[in-house]
Amino acid sequence: MKINPQKCVGCALCIPYCVEAAITMGSDRKATINRDKCIECTVCYNSSICPVDAFELEELEWPRSVREVFATVYKSHSQTNVPGRGTEEMKTNDVTGRFKEGEIGFSVDMGRPGVGVDLIDAEKLLMALGKLGIEFEPENPITHLMKDIKTGELKDDVKQERVHSCIPEFKTNIERLPEILDTLKKISQEINTVFSLGLCLKLTPEGKIPEFVKNYLDKNKIPYYPGGKTNIGLGKPLAEI
Amino acid sequence: MTHTLHRSGDAESLKSDYVVLVLPAQGFNNEGSAPKMRKILEIILNHNPVNFGDMRTGNYFRKGMKPILDNTQDNSIVHGVFTNRKDLEECIAELKEADLGISTVVTGLFDDVWDSVKKVGLTPHSINLSLGVWGKKELLPEQEVLDITTQCGHHCIAPNLVKKLANDVKKEKICIEEAARVIAKQCVCGVANPLRTEKILEKYINK
Repeated sequence: MKINPQKCVGCALCIPYCVEAAITMGSDRKATINRDKCIECTVCYNSSICPVDAFELEELEWPRSVREVFATVYKSHSQTNVPGRGTEEMKTNDVTGRFKEGEIGFSVDMGRPGVGVDLIDAEKLLMALGKLGIEFEPENPITHLMKDIKTGELKDDVKQERVHSCIPEFKTNIERLPEILDTLKKISQEINTVFSLGLCLKLTPEGKIPEFVKNYLDKNKIPYYPGGKTNIGLGKPLAEI
Repeated sequence: MTHTLHRSGDAESLKSDYVVLVLPAQGFNNEGSAPKMRKILEIILNHNPVNFGDMRTGNYFRKGMKPILDNTQDNSIVHGVFTNRKDLEECIAELKEADLGISTVVTGLFDDVWDSVKKVGLTPHSINLSLGVWGKKELLPEQEVLDITTQCGHHCIAPNLVKKLANDVKKEKICIEEAARVIAKQCVCGVANPLRTEKILEKYINK
């Protein structure tokens, strides 16, 4: 994203709209974007707040284009046809049968809410998970940036990029929950950002959270939000899981 | 993609916040689903949503109703935001009746949502549970700001915008309803809840 200095009138209306606080006023009283902080989300542009249309979209080259793909809502990923940063995860589980009873899905939404993540930090987490032998979701956009999908190491040319958020996704047997959470807890203390953690679960036939998961979270005082997403089973054809 | 998960806030505040999200499964039942997605939006509109949108087109506050209805696609992800269980229940009952075969997700307090789902004769199938935020939480803004910004899972609502608008309301430059509308406009998908935002802003301003 660029601000055309010839057009900018220095009104500063755009400054609060930047989700990364990357827009500041320069000494010339023109708004300017810190390119290291900017995650190419286009929120400033799409807000239409600029009275003189000084924001200009850029044709981004690789690897900076990675920022745009992980931040711009309207963009669909070429591999999945799904807009956004992740996959359909449990939202279509009634049809896809992706998460079966006895399985648990993890979505580690790195950089969320609103902090952003350097991909070098994302790699720390990915590689720690790789050591556990987990299989990353092949259709997730971050998996496509890996040099090695077993270790989680990222391609060299993207490591210095920064994105709004990326969502490593994987699933395991439900019994591996403690081991995965221990690893995530350890890595959370080593990275310079935050992540929002989600679990995907097929409910029991009675419509309850599997006992193993509930008991483990409660016993270990791991808090979870009282609200979340529920797939209500209207999809067809219904997967047999 | 977890854009309606991780909505922070206490249970009291979340009691006025239910999101219905509907999407076809790519590679399973997406082909030719665009007209069904339009029908689903029409059903959502029958039940007093305070916001709605399609991830492919945008939200009501930015695009208006017609462009959203006229541009549904085979990979649309449509949403409606409700502030009470009655509207939610009537909406999912009509979706069930329409029997369009498209996956439907309800975001909200589990106890309430599951109760509503069972009331209309459905069984909750799968869930996405939030274990909250981990890591350097000192980088996060104040809780009230977060309770507003996390309504947009793509984080298109800037914390500094929330703070500025709160300040503008305090100085009576704009009314609280307008501030909430400006905030909702930022969330492309249309999952921000302007009525809940008003209540949070009020609490934040009077802190």
